[in-house]
Amino acid sequence: MFDIIAVDISGRHKTNDGYLMVCAAVAASVTADHIEKVNQIVVRSFRDSSAPDVQDVVKIVEETVSELKFSGTIVTEAGDFYNKPQWLIDSMFSCDLKYQESLSERRCIEIAHHVSLSSRKLLLKELDIR
Amino acid sequence: MMRAILVKRNDPRSDDDRNELQMNELRELAGAAGYNIIAEMTQMRHPDRKYHLGRGKVEELSQIVTDLKPDKIIFHNPLSTMQIYNISETCRCETIDKFQLILEIFATRATTHRSKLQVELARLEYELPRARAVVSILKKDERPGFMGLGGYEDSYAQDIKNRMARIKNELETIQKDNESLRAHRHSRGFSLAALAGYTNAGKSTLFNALVDENVESKDMLFTTLLPTTRSLKVKGRDILVTDTVGFIEDLPHWMVDAFKSTLDEIFLADVVLLVVDSSEQMELIRKKLLVCHETMWDQLQEVAIVTVFNKIDLITDDELQEKMATLAYLAPHSVTVSAKTGFGFEKLKEQIQSLLPEWKRIKLSIPQSEEGMALVAWIYDEGLVHSINYTNTISIDFEARDKVINKAISLANGLS
Repeated sequence: MFDIIAVDISGRHKTNDGYLMVCAAVAASVTADHIEKVNQIVVRSFRDSSAPDVQDVVKIVEETVSELKFSGTIVTEAGDFYNKPQWLIDSMFSCDLKYQESLSERRCIEIAHHVSLSSRKLLLKELDIR
Repeated sequence: MMRAILVKRNDPRSDDDRNELQMNELRELAGAAGYNIIAEMTQMRHPDRKYHLGRGKVEELSQIVTDLKPDKIIFHNPLSTMQIYNISETCRCETIDKFQLILEIFATRATTHRSKLQVELARLEYELPRARAVVSILKKDERPGFMGLGGYEDSYAQDIKNRMARIKNELETIQKDNESLRAHRHSRGFSLAALAGYTNAGKSTLFNALVDENVESKDMLFTTLLPTTRSLKVKGRDILVTDTVGFIEDLPHWMVDAFKSTLDEIFLADVVLLVVDSSEQMELIRKKLLVCHETMWDQLQEVAIVTVFNKIDLITDDELQEKMATLAYLAPHSVTVSAKTGFGFEKLKEQIQSLLPEWKRIKLSIPQSEEGMALVAWIYDEGLVHSINYTNTISIDFEARDKVINKAISLANGLS
Protein backbone atom coordinates (compact mmCIF):
# COMPACT_ATOMS: atom_id res chain seq x y z
CA MET A 1 0.00 0.00 0.00
CA PHE A 2 1.16 3.55 -0.74
CA ASP A 3 0.24 6.84 0.92
CA ILE A 4 -0.59 9.59 -1.55
CA ILE A 5 -2.12 13.04 -1.45
CA ALA A 6 -4.22 13.74 -4.54
CA VAL A 7 -4.70 17.44 -5.26
CA ASP A 8 -7.03 19.27 -7.62
CA ILE A 9 -7.79 22.97 -8.09
CA SER A 10 -11.10 24.28 -9.42
CA GLY A 11 -11.85 27.80 -10.65
CA ARG A 12 -8.77 28.82 -12.56
CA HIS A 13 -10.86 31.00 -14.82
CA LYS A 14 -11.99 34.56 -14.33
CA THR A 15 -15.24 35.42 -12.57
CA ASN A 16 -16.59 38.97 -12.22
CA ASP A 17 -14.06 40.31 -9.79
CA GLY A 18 -11.02 38.09 -10.23
CA TYR A 19 -10.20 34.47 -9.59
CA LEU A 20 -11.87 32.37 -6.90
CA MET A 21 -10.06 29.07 -6.66
CA VAL A 22 -10.77 26.08 -4.44
CA CYS A 23 -8.07 23.52 -3.81
CA ALA A 24 -8.90 20.06 -2.45
CA ALA A 25 -6.30 17.64 -1.08
CA VAL A 26 -7.22 14.01 -0.49
CA ALA A 27 -4.88 11.94 1.69
CA ALA A 28 -5.40 8.26 0.89
CA SER A 29 -3.82 4.85 1.15
CA VAL A 30 -3.94 3.13 -2.23
CA THR A 31 -2.84 0.00 -4.05
CA ALA A 32 -2.13 -0.01 -7.77
CA ASP A 33 -5.74 -0.36 -8.88
CA HIS A 34 -7.97 0.78 -6.03
CA ILE A 35 -8.23 3.06 -3.03
CA GLU A 36 -7.90 1.24 0.28
CA LYS A 37 -8.81 4.15 2.54
CA VAL A 38 -9.37 7.87 2.34
CA ASN A 39 -7.64 9.21 5.46
CA GLN A 40 -8.49 12.91 5.32
CA ILE A 41 -9.76 15.59 2.96
CA VAL A 42 -8.87 19.27 3.22
CA VAL A 43 -10.46 22.08 1.21
CA ARG A 44 -9.17 25.66 1.00
CA SER A 45 -10.21 28.65 -1.03
CA PHE A 46 -7.92 31.27 -2.59
CA ARG A 47 -8.64 34.63 -4.22
CA ASP A 48 -6.45 36.40 -6.71
CA SER A 49 -6.85 39.35 -9.03
CA SER A 50 -4.70 37.89 -11.81
CA ALA A 51 -4.45 34.46 -13.43
CA PRO A 52 -2.30 32.05 -11.40
CA ASP A 53 1.13 31.16 -12.79
CA VAL A 54 3.15 28.05 -11.92
CA GLN A 55 4.56 29.59 -8.71
CA ASP A 56 1.08 30.54 -7.54
CA VAL A 57 -0.20 27.01 -8.16
CA VAL A 58 2.76 25.55 -6.23
CA LYS A 59 1.95 27.89 -3.32
CA ILE A 60 -1.73 26.99 -3.36
CA VAL A 61 -0.99 23.24 -3.36
CA GLU A 62 1.67 23.53 -0.62
CA GLU A 63 -0.62 25.56 1.63
CA THR A 64 -3.52 23.15 1.25
CA VAL A 65 -1.38 20.05 1.76
CA SER A 66 0.25 21.56 4.89
CA GLU A 67 -3.12 21.36 6.66
CA LEU A 68 -3.29 17.58 6.33
CA LYS A 69 -2.30 15.40 9.27
CA PHE A 70 -1.16 12.65 6.90
CA SER A 71 1.94 12.57 4.72
CA GLY A 72 2.49 11.08 1.27
CA THR A 73 3.55 11.79 -2.28
CA ILE A 74 1.54 14.62 -3.82
CA VAL A 75 -0.17 13.46 -7.02
CA THR A 76 -1.64 15.90 -9.55
CA GLU A 77 -2.64 16.09 -13.18
CA ALA A 78 0.10 17.43 -15.47
CA GLY A 79 -2.35 20.06 -16.71
CA ASP A 80 -2.52 21.64 -13.24
CA PHE A 81 1.08 22.74 -13.72
CA TYR A 82 0.65 23.79 -17.33
CA ASN A 83 2.12 20.46 -18.54
CA LYS A 84 5.59 21.46 -17.39
CA PRO A 85 8.02 18.53 -16.99
CA GLN A 86 7.63 16.66 -13.71
CA TRP A 87 11.25 17.13 -12.61
CA LEU A 88 10.89 20.89 -12.89
CA ILE A 89 7.75 21.06 -10.76
CA ASP A 90 9.06 18.49 -8.28
CA SER A 91 12.10 20.71 -7.64
CA MET A 92 9.81 23.58 -6.59
CA PHE A 93 8.18 21.54 -3.81
CA SER A 94 9.49 20.76 -0.35
CA CYS A 95 7.89 17.28 -0.50
CA ASP A 96 7.68 14.63 -3.23
CA LEU A 97 5.41 15.30 -6.19
CA LYS A 98 4.47 13.22 -9.21
CA TYR A 99 1.94 13.33 -12.01
CA GLN A 100 -0.88 10.77 -12.01
CA GLU A 101 0.00 7.32 -13.29
CA SER A 102 -1.93 4.36 -11.87
CA LEU A 103 -5.69 3.78 -11.85
CA SER A 104 -5.95 4.43 -8.09
CA GLU A 105 -4.09 7.73 -8.38
CA ARG A 106 -6.48 8.81 -11.12
CA ARG A 107 -9.45 7.74 -8.99
CA CYS A 108 -8.13 9.80 -6.04
CA ILE A 109 -7.70 12.87 -8.24
CA GLU A 110 -11.24 12.34 -9.45
CA ILE A 111 -12.42 12.50 -5.80
CA ALA A 112 -10.38 15.67 -5.22
CA HIS A 113 -11.89 17.15 -8.38
CA HIS A 114 -15.47 16.46 -7.27
CA VAL A 115 -14.74 17.91 -3.83
CA SER A 116 -13.13 21.10 -5.11
CA LEU A 117 -15.70 21.65 -7.85
CA SER A 118 -18.75 21.20 -5.64
CA SER A 119 -17.20 23.27 -2.80
CA ARG A 120 -16.53 26.08 -5.22
CA LYS A 121 -20.08 25.95 -6.56
CA LEU A 122 -21.43 26.21 -3.00
CA LEU A 123 -19.07 29.08 -2.27
CA LEU A 124 -20.14 30.97 -5.39
CA LYS A 125 -23.78 30.50 -4.36
CA GLU A 126 -23.11 31.70 -0.80
CA LEU A 127 -21.12 34.73 -1.94
CA ASP A 128 -23.61 35.36 -4.71
CA ILE A 129 -20.95 35.50 -7.42
CA ARG A 130 -22.00 34.77 -10.96
CA MET B 1 8.24 -6.74 -50.07
CA MET B 2 7.53 -3.01 -50.14
CA ARG B 3 10.35 -0.63 -49.29
CA ALA B 4 9.97 2.35 -46.98
CA ILE B 5 11.90 5.27 -45.54
CA LEU B 6 11.16 6.12 -41.90
CA VAL B 7 11.14 9.76 -40.84
CA LYS B 8 10.76 11.25 -37.37
CA ARG B 9 10.81 14.79 -36.11
CA ASN B 10 11.98 15.15 -32.51
CA ASP B 11 11.03 18.08 -30.34
CA PRO B 12 13.98 20.17 -29.20
CA ARG B 13 15.18 19.23 -25.69
CA SER B 14 13.15 16.00 -25.77
CA ASP B 15 14.37 12.82 -24.10
CA ASP B 16 16.80 10.90 -26.36
CA ASP B 17 15.91 7.50 -24.94
CA ARG B 18 12.23 8.13 -25.48
CA ASN B 19 12.87 9.23 -29.06
CA GLU B 20 14.86 6.08 -29.71
CA LEU B 21 12.08 3.92 -28.25
CA GLN B 22 9.49 5.62 -30.42
CA MET B 23 11.66 5.13 -33.50
CA ASN B 24 12.10 1.50 -32.57
CA GLU B 25 8.35 1.08 -32.26
CA LEU B 26 7.89 2.67 -35.68
CA ARG B 27 10.44 0.21 -37.11
CA GLU B 28 8.50 -2.70 -35.61
CA LEU B 29 5.19 -1.32 -36.87
CA ALA B 30 6.62 -0.93 -40.36
CA GLY B 31 7.95 -4.49 -40.14
CA ALA B 32 4.52 -5.74 -39.04
CA ALA B 33 2.92 -3.98 -42.02
CA GLY B 34 5.34 -5.76 -44.34
CA TYR B 35 7.76 -2.96 -45.19
CA ASN B 36 11.47 -3.33 -45.69
CA ILE B 37 13.16 -0.28 -44.15
CA ILE B 38 15.80 1.04 -46.50
CA ALA B 39 16.62 4.35 -44.82
CA GLU B 40 15.83 6.41 -41.75
CA MET B 41 15.89 10.14 -41.13
CA THR B 42 15.40 12.24 -38.01
CA GLN B 43 15.46 15.95 -37.40
CA MET B 44 15.30 17.93 -34.18
CA ARG B 45 13.18 21.06 -34.60
CA HIS B 46 9.75 22.51 -34.00
CA PRO B 47 7.17 21.45 -36.60
CA ASP B 48 7.05 23.36 -39.87
CA ARG B 49 3.56 24.29 -41.06
CA LYS B 50 4.20 23.39 -44.66
CA TYR B 51 6.48 20.35 -44.54
CA HIS B 52 6.54 19.33 -40.87
CA LEU B 53 10.34 18.99 -41.24
CA GLY B 54 12.56 21.85 -42.37
CA ARG B 55 12.51 22.67 -46.08
CA GLY B 56 16.16 21.69 -46.51
CA LYS B 57 15.56 18.36 -44.79
CA VAL B 58 12.65 17.59 -47.12
CA GLU B 59 14.88 18.35 -50.12
CA GLU B 60 17.46 15.97 -48.66
CA LEU B 61 14.68 13.40 -48.27
CA SER B 62 13.68 13.98 -51.88
CA GLN B 63 17.27 13.24 -52.96
CA ILE B 64 17.28 9.99 -50.98
CA VAL B 65 13.94 9.03 -52.57
CA THR B 66 15.39 9.63 -56.05
CA ASP B 67 18.40 7.44 -55.23
CA LEU B 68 16.70 4.59 -53.37
CA LYS B 69 13.22 4.62 -54.97
CA PRO B 70 11.14 3.52 -51.95
CA ASP B 71 7.39 2.72 -52.17
CA LYS B 72 6.47 4.87 -49.21
CA ILE B 73 7.72 7.49 -46.77
CA ILE B 74 6.46 6.79 -43.24
CA PHE B 75 6.38 9.60 -40.69
CA HIS B 76 6.20 8.96 -36.96
CA ASN B 77 4.53 12.30 -36.32
CA PRO B 78 0.93 12.99 -37.27
CA LEU B 79 0.78 14.99 -40.51
CA SER B 80 -1.88 17.37 -41.79
CA THR B 81 -3.35 16.89 -45.27
CA MET B 82 -1.42 19.88 -46.55
CA GLN B 83 1.86 18.53 -45.18
CA ILE B 84 1.24 15.10 -46.74
CA TYR B 85 0.48 16.77 -50.07
CA ASN B 86 3.54 19.03 -49.97
CA ILE B 87 5.94 16.25 -48.98
CA SER B 88 4.49 13.86 -51.60
CA GLU B 89 4.79 16.56 -54.28
CA THR B 90 8.40 17.43 -53.37
CA CYS B 91 9.59 13.84 -52.98
CA ARG B 92 7.34 12.28 -55.63
CA CYS B 93 6.57 9.40 -53.28
CA GLU B 94 3.50 8.35 -51.29
CA THR B 95 3.69 9.66 -47.73
CA ILE B 96 1.81 8.32 -44.69
CA ASP B 97 1.97 8.86 -40.93
CA LYS B 98 1.96 6.41 -38.02
CA PHE B 99 -1.83 6.32 -37.71
CA GLN B 100 -2.25 5.42 -41.36
CA LEU B 101 0.42 2.76 -40.90
CA ILE B 102 -1.55 1.24 -37.99
CA LEU B 103 -4.68 1.35 -40.13
CA GLU B 104 -2.79 -0.45 -42.91
CA ILE B 105 -1.76 -3.20 -40.49
CA PHE B 106 -5.34 -3.57 -39.30
CA ALA B 107 -6.62 -3.62 -42.88
CA THR B 108 -4.26 -6.38 -43.98
CA ARG B 109 -5.07 -8.55 -40.94
CA ALA B 110 -8.82 -8.02 -40.92
CA THR B 111 -10.39 -11.27 -42.04
CA THR B 112 -13.94 -11.36 -40.71
CA HIS B 113 -16.83 -9.19 -41.83
CA ARG B 114 -16.92 -7.45 -38.45
CA SER B 115 -13.25 -6.53 -38.35
CA LYS B 116 -13.37 -5.35 -41.96
CA LEU B 117 -16.23 -3.02 -41.02
CA GLN B 118 -14.26 -1.75 -38.02
CA VAL B 119 -11.21 -1.02 -40.14
CA GLU B 120 -13.33 0.71 -42.77
CA LEU B 121 -14.98 2.84 -40.09
CA ALA B 122 -11.62 3.81 -38.56
CA ARG B 123 -10.32 4.74 -42.02
CA LEU B 124 -13.36 6.87 -42.78
CA GLU B 125 -13.13 8.64 -39.42
CA TYR B 126 -9.52 9.44 -40.24
CA GLU B 127 -10.47 10.63 -43.69
CA LEU B 128 -13.51 12.76 -42.83
CA PRO B 129 -11.80 15.89 -41.50
CA ARG B 130 -9.36 15.73 -44.42
CA ALA B 131 -11.97 15.11 -47.10
CA ARG B 132 -12.61 18.75 -48.00
CA ALA B 133 -8.92 19.59 -48.14
CA VAL B 134 -8.12 16.52 -50.27
CA VAL B 135 -10.76 17.41 -52.87
CA SER B 136 -9.68 21.02 -52.80
CA ILE B 137 -6.05 20.04 -53.51
CA LEU B 138 -6.96 17.50 -56.19
CA LYS B 139 -9.18 19.96 -58.08
CA LYS B 140 -6.79 22.87 -57.61
CA ASP B 141 -5.99 23.17 -61.30
CA GLU B 142 -9.52 22.88 -62.57
CA ARG B 143 -11.27 25.74 -60.81
CA PRO B 144 -14.43 25.64 -62.87
CA GLY B 145 -16.45 28.71 -62.18
CA PHE B 146 -19.73 29.50 -60.70
CA MET B 147 -20.99 26.68 -58.40
CA GLY B 148 -18.08 24.53 -59.52
CA LEU B 149 -15.99 23.39 -56.59
CA GLY B 150 -18.18 23.57 -53.52
CA GLY B 151 -20.37 20.82 -54.86
CA TYR B 152 -17.47 18.40 -55.16
CA GLU B 153 -16.18 19.04 -51.66
CA ASP B 154 -19.51 18.75 -49.96
CA SER B 155 -20.70 15.68 -51.79
CA TYR B 156 -17.45 13.81 -51.01
CA ALA B 157 -17.65 14.65 -47.29
CA GLN B 158 -21.35 13.79 -47.27
CA ASP B 159 -20.63 10.50 -48.99
CA ILE B 160 -18.12 9.61 -46.26
CA LYS B 161 -20.64 10.54 -43.56
CA ASN B 162 -23.30 8.34 -45.16
CA ARG B 163 -20.94 5.41 -45.40
CA MET B 164 -19.96 5.87 -41.75
CA ALA B 165 -23.58 5.91 -40.63
CA ARG B 166 -24.27 2.72 -42.56
CA ILE B 167 -21.27 0.92 -41.07
CA LYS B 168 -22.11 2.13 -37.55
CA ASN B 169 -25.62 0.72 -37.89
CA GLU B 170 -24.30 -2.60 -39.02
CA LEU B 171 -21.68 -2.71 -36.26
CA GLU B 172 -24.32 -1.90 -33.67
CA THR B 173 -26.33 -4.94 -34.70
CA ILE B 174 -23.24 -7.13 -34.42
CA GLN B 175 -22.38 -5.59 -31.05
CA LYS B 176 -25.86 -6.31 -29.71
CA ASP B 177 -25.41 -9.95 -30.71
CA ASN B 178 -22.09 -10.02 -28.88
CA GLU B 179 -23.52 -8.36 -25.79
CA SER B 180 -26.29 -10.91 -25.58
CA LEU B 181 -23.73 -13.67 -26.07
CA ARG B 182 -21.71 -12.25 -23.18
CA ALA B 183 -24.82 -11.96 -21.00
CA HIS B 184 -25.74 -15.53 -21.93
CA ARG B 185 -22.27 -16.73 -20.94
CA HIS B 186 -22.55 -14.88 -17.61
CA SER B 187 -25.96 -16.38 -16.94
CA ARG B 188 -24.63 -19.84 -17.76
CA GLY B 189 -22.27 -19.38 -14.82
CA PHE B 190 -19.10 -18.69 -16.73
CA SER B 191 -16.86 -16.00 -15.31
CA LEU B 192 -15.05 -13.92 -17.89
CA ALA B 193 -11.33 -13.16 -17.91
CA ALA B 194 -9.62 -11.04 -20.56
CA LEU B 195 -5.96 -10.77 -21.50
CA ALA B 196 -4.89 -7.17 -21.93
CA GLY B 197 -1.55 -5.43 -22.30
CA TYR B 198 0.76 -3.54 -24.57
CA THR B 199 1.12 -4.90 -28.07
CA ASN B 200 3.72 -7.72 -28.33
CA ALA B 201 3.69 -8.42 -24.56
CA GLY B 202 3.03 -12.11 -25.21
CA LYS B 203 -0.72 -12.23 -24.64
CA SER B 204 -1.42 -14.75 -27.39
CA THR B 205 1.45 -17.02 -26.32
CA LEU B 206 0.13 -16.98 -22.76
CA PHE B 207 -3.40 -17.60 -24.04
CA ASN B 208 -2.25 -20.58 -26.12
CA ALA B 209 -0.33 -22.04 -23.20
CA LEU B 210 -3.18 -21.51 -20.73
CA VAL B 211 -6.02 -22.97 -22.79
CA ASP B 212 -4.01 -25.24 -25.06
CA GLU B 213 -5.00 -23.45 -28.23
CA ASN B 214 -3.25 -22.54 -31.47
CA VAL B 215 -3.98 -18.85 -31.91
CA GLU B 216 -1.38 -17.21 -34.13
CA SER B 217 1.39 -15.74 -31.96
CA LYS B 218 4.46 -14.04 -33.38
CA ASP B 219 7.16 -11.67 -32.22
CA MET B 220 5.39 -8.85 -34.05
CA LEU B 221 3.13 -5.92 -33.20
CA PHE B 222 -0.63 -6.39 -33.61
CA THR B 223 -0.56 -10.12 -34.39
CA THR B 224 -3.97 -10.39 -32.72
CA LEU B 225 -6.78 -8.19 -33.94
CA LEU B 226 -9.84 -10.30 -33.24
CA PRO B 227 -10.76 -11.50 -29.78
CA THR B 228 -10.68 -15.29 -29.36
CA THR B 229 -12.46 -16.90 -26.42
CA ARG B 230 -11.79 -20.33 -24.95
CA SER B 231 -12.79 -21.98 -21.70
CA LEU B 232 -10.34 -22.72 -18.90
CA LYS B 233 -10.89 -24.75 -15.73
CA VAL B 234 -9.66 -22.91 -12.65
CA LYS B 235 -9.92 -25.05 -9.50
CA GLY B 236 -13.11 -26.69 -10.70
CA ARG B 237 -14.74 -23.54 -12.05
CA ASP B 238 -15.15 -22.86 -15.73
CA ILE B 239 -13.99 -19.44 -16.83
CA LEU B 240 -13.84 -18.02 -20.33
CA VAL B 241 -10.53 -16.45 -21.26
CA THR B 242 -10.43 -13.93 -24.11
CA ASP B 243 -7.33 -12.91 -26.04
CA THR B 244 -7.58 -9.31 -27.25
CA VAL B 245 -5.87 -6.66 -29.34
CA GLY B 246 -2.90 -4.94 -27.68
CA PHE B 247 -2.63 -1.32 -26.59
CA ILE B 248 -0.21 1.12 -28.16
CA GLU B 249 1.06 4.57 -27.19
CA ASP B 250 -0.69 7.54 -28.80
CA LEU B 251 -3.46 5.37 -30.24
CA PRO B 252 -5.83 8.07 -31.43
CA HIS B 253 -9.11 8.26 -29.57
CA TRP B 254 -11.31 7.84 -32.62
CA MET B 255 -9.52 4.62 -33.34
CA VAL B 256 -10.07 3.24 -29.84
CA ASP B 257 -13.72 4.07 -30.30
CA ALA B 258 -13.83 2.35 -33.64
CA PHE B 259 -12.38 -0.77 -32.05
CA LYS B 260 -14.57 -0.44 -29.01
CA SER B 261 -16.30 -3.75 -29.54
CA THR B 262 -12.93 -5.48 -29.31
CA LEU B 263 -11.93 -3.56 -26.22
CA ASP B 264 -15.35 -4.20 -24.65
CA GLU B 265 -14.18 -7.74 -24.07
CA ILE B 266 -11.65 -6.30 -21.66
CA PHE B 267 -13.91 -3.77 -20.02
CA LEU B 268 -16.76 -6.17 -19.33
CA ALA B 269 -14.66 -9.00 -17.93
CA ASP B 270 -14.68 -10.13 -14.29
CA VAL B 271 -10.90 -10.32 -14.19
CA VAL B 272 -8.38 -8.57 -16.44
CA LEU B 273 -5.00 -10.24 -16.89
CA LEU B 274 -2.63 -7.38 -17.62
CA VAL B 275 0.32 -8.98 -19.38
CA VAL B 276 3.76 -7.37 -19.09
CA ASP B 277 6.94 -8.36 -20.93
CA SER B 278 9.30 -8.48 -17.97
CA SER B 279 12.39 -9.03 -20.14
CA GLU B 280 12.29 -5.41 -21.28
CA GLN B 281 14.06 -2.50 -19.62
CA MET B 282 12.47 -1.13 -16.47
CA GLU B 283 11.69 2.30 -17.93
CA LEU B 284 10.10 0.74 -20.99
CA ILE B 285 7.90 -1.54 -18.88
CA ARG B 286 6.85 1.47 -16.79
CA LYS B 287 5.90 3.46 -19.88
CA LYS B 288 3.94 0.57 -21.35
CA LEU B 289 2.12 -0.02 -18.06
CA LEU B 290 1.31 3.67 -18.01
CA VAL B 291 -0.26 3.43 -21.48
CA CYS B 292 -2.31 0.43 -20.30
CA HIS B 293 -3.54 2.28 -17.18
CA GLU B 294 -4.39 5.31 -19.29
CA THR B 295 -6.33 3.26 -21.85
CA MET B 296 -8.17 1.32 -19.18
CA TRP B 297 -8.95 4.40 -17.07
CA ASP B 298 -11.48 5.76 -19.54
CA GLN B 299 -13.74 2.74 -19.54
CA LEU B 300 -12.75 0.24 -16.89
CA GLN B 301 -15.25 -0.06 -14.06
CA GLU B 302 -14.73 -2.02 -10.88
CA VAL B 303 -12.80 -4.89 -12.43
CA ALA B 304 -10.12 -6.90 -10.67
CA ILE B 305 -6.74 -6.73 -12.37
CA VAL B 306 -3.97 -9.35 -12.20
CA THR B 307 -0.60 -8.19 -13.49
CA VAL B 308 1.16 -11.07 -15.21
CA PHE B 309 4.92 -10.61 -15.50
CA ASN B 310 5.54 -12.79 -18.56
CA LYS B 311 8.79 -14.02 -20.19
CA ILE B 312 10.57 -14.48 -16.83
CA ASP B 313 12.70 -17.22 -18.39
CA LEU B 314 14.66 -14.46 -20.12
CA ILE B 315 15.83 -12.64 -16.95
CA THR B 316 17.45 -13.50 -13.62
CA ASP B 317 15.58 -13.72 -10.32
CA ASP B 318 17.28 -10.59 -8.95
CA GLU B 319 16.32 -8.54 -11.99
CA LEU B 320 12.74 -9.74 -11.72
CA GLN B 321 12.47 -8.92 -8.01
CA GLU B 322 13.91 -5.46 -8.59
CA LYS B 323 11.47 -4.75 -11.42
CA MET B 324 8.48 -6.02 -9.45
CA ALA B 325 9.40 -3.95 -6.39
CA THR B 326 9.90 -0.77 -8.41
CA LEU B 327 6.74 -1.21 -10.45
CA ALA B 328 4.51 -2.34 -7.56
CA TYR B 329 2.56 0.93 -7.65
CA LEU B 330 1.48 0.19 -11.22
CA ALA B 331 1.08 -3.58 -10.97
CA PRO B 332 -1.87 -4.85 -8.92
CA HIS B 333 -1.89 -8.51 -7.78
CA SER B 334 1.31 -9.37 -9.61
CA VAL B 335 2.14 -12.94 -10.63
CA THR B 336 5.23 -14.17 -12.47
CA VAL B 337 4.90 -16.67 -15.31
CA SER B 338 6.71 -17.95 -18.34
CA ALA B 339 4.23 -18.74 -21.10
CA LYS B 340 7.01 -20.61 -22.90
CA THR B 341 7.95 -23.01 -20.10
CA GLY B 342 4.63 -23.04 -18.22
CA PHE B 343 6.20 -21.82 -14.98
CA GLY B 344 3.83 -20.05 -12.57
CA PHE B 345 0.53 -21.14 -14.16
CA GLU B 346 -0.76 -22.68 -10.91
CA LYS B 347 -0.15 -19.47 -9.00
CA LEU B 348 -1.82 -17.49 -11.78
CA LYS B 349 -4.88 -19.73 -11.61
CA GLU B 350 -4.99 -19.36 -7.80
CA GLN B 351 -4.85 -15.59 -8.16
CA ILE B 352 -7.62 -15.62 -10.80
CA GLN B 353 -9.77 -17.82 -8.59
CA SER B 354 -9.36 -15.54 -5.57
CA LEU B 355 -10.65 -12.60 -7.62
CA LEU B 356 -13.60 -14.29 -9.33
CA PRO B 357 -17.15 -13.45 -8.19
CA GLU B 358 -17.84 -15.46 -5.04
CA TRP B 359 -19.69 -18.78 -5.05
CA LYS B 360 -21.68 -20.05 -2.05
CA ARG B 361 -21.44 -23.53 -0.53
CA ILE B 362 -24.52 -25.46 0.54
CA LYS B 363 -25.63 -28.98 1.62
CA LEU B 364 -28.85 -30.28 0.11
CA SER B 365 -30.96 -33.44 0.48
CA ILE B 366 -32.60 -34.69 -2.70
CA PRO B 367 -34.97 -37.68 -2.86
CA GLN B 368 -33.79 -40.82 -4.74
CA SER B 369 -35.82 -40.68 -7.91
CA GLU B 370 -35.42 -40.11 -11.62
CA GLU B 371 -36.10 -36.37 -11.21
CA GLY B 372 -33.70 -36.28 -8.25
CA MET B 373 -30.91 -37.78 -10.37
CA ALA B 374 -31.64 -35.28 -13.13
CA LEU B 375 -31.24 -32.48 -10.58
CA VAL B 376 -27.90 -33.94 -9.40
CA ALA B 377 -26.69 -34.07 -13.00
CA TRP B 378 -27.70 -30.46 -13.48
CA ILE B 379 -25.84 -29.42 -10.29
CA TYR B 380 -22.71 -31.22 -11.59
CA ASP B 381 -23.01 -29.14 -14.78
CA GLU B 382 -23.52 -25.79 -13.10
CA GLY B 383 -21.46 -25.95 -9.92
CA LEU B 384 -18.58 -27.60 -8.13
CA VAL B 385 -19.56 -30.73 -6.16
CA HIS B 386 -17.43 -31.35 -3.05
CA SER B 387 -19.07 -34.56 -1.81
CA ILE B 388 -22.13 -36.69 -2.52
CA ASN B 389 -23.72 -39.53 -0.46
CA TYR B 390 -26.35 -41.93 -1.75
CA THR B 391 -28.47 -43.33 1.11
CA ASN B 392 -32.29 -43.16 1.29
CA THR B 393 -31.86 -39.69 -0.01
CA ILE B 394 -29.01 -38.05 -1.90
CA SER B 395 -26.95 -35.66 0.28
CA ILE B 396 -24.94 -33.34 -1.87
CA ASP B 397 -22.43 -30.72 -0.75
CA PHE B 398 -21.70 -28.25 -3.55
CA GLU B 399 -20.57 -24.76 -4.42
CA ALA B 400 -22.26 -22.54 -7.02
CA ARG B 401 -23.41 -19.02 -7.75
CA ASP B 402 -26.56 -17.64 -6.06
CA LYS B 403 -28.95 -18.24 -8.94
CA VAL B 404 -28.07 -21.93 -9.24
CA ILE B 405 -28.33 -22.48 -5.46
CA ASN B 406 -31.77 -20.85 -5.29
CA LYS B 407 -33.03 -22.87 -8.24
CA ALA B 408 -31.60 -26.11 -6.78
CA ILE B 409 -33.30 -25.45 -3.42
CA SER B 410 -36.68 -24.74 -5.00
CA LEU B 411 -36.41 -27.81 -7.26
CA ALA B 412 -35.37 -30.02 -4.31
CA ASN B 413 -38.29 -28.70 -2.26
CA GLY B 414 -40.64 -29.42 -5.12
CA LEU B 415 -39.42 -33.03 -5.33
CA SER B 416 -39.71 -33.87 -1.60
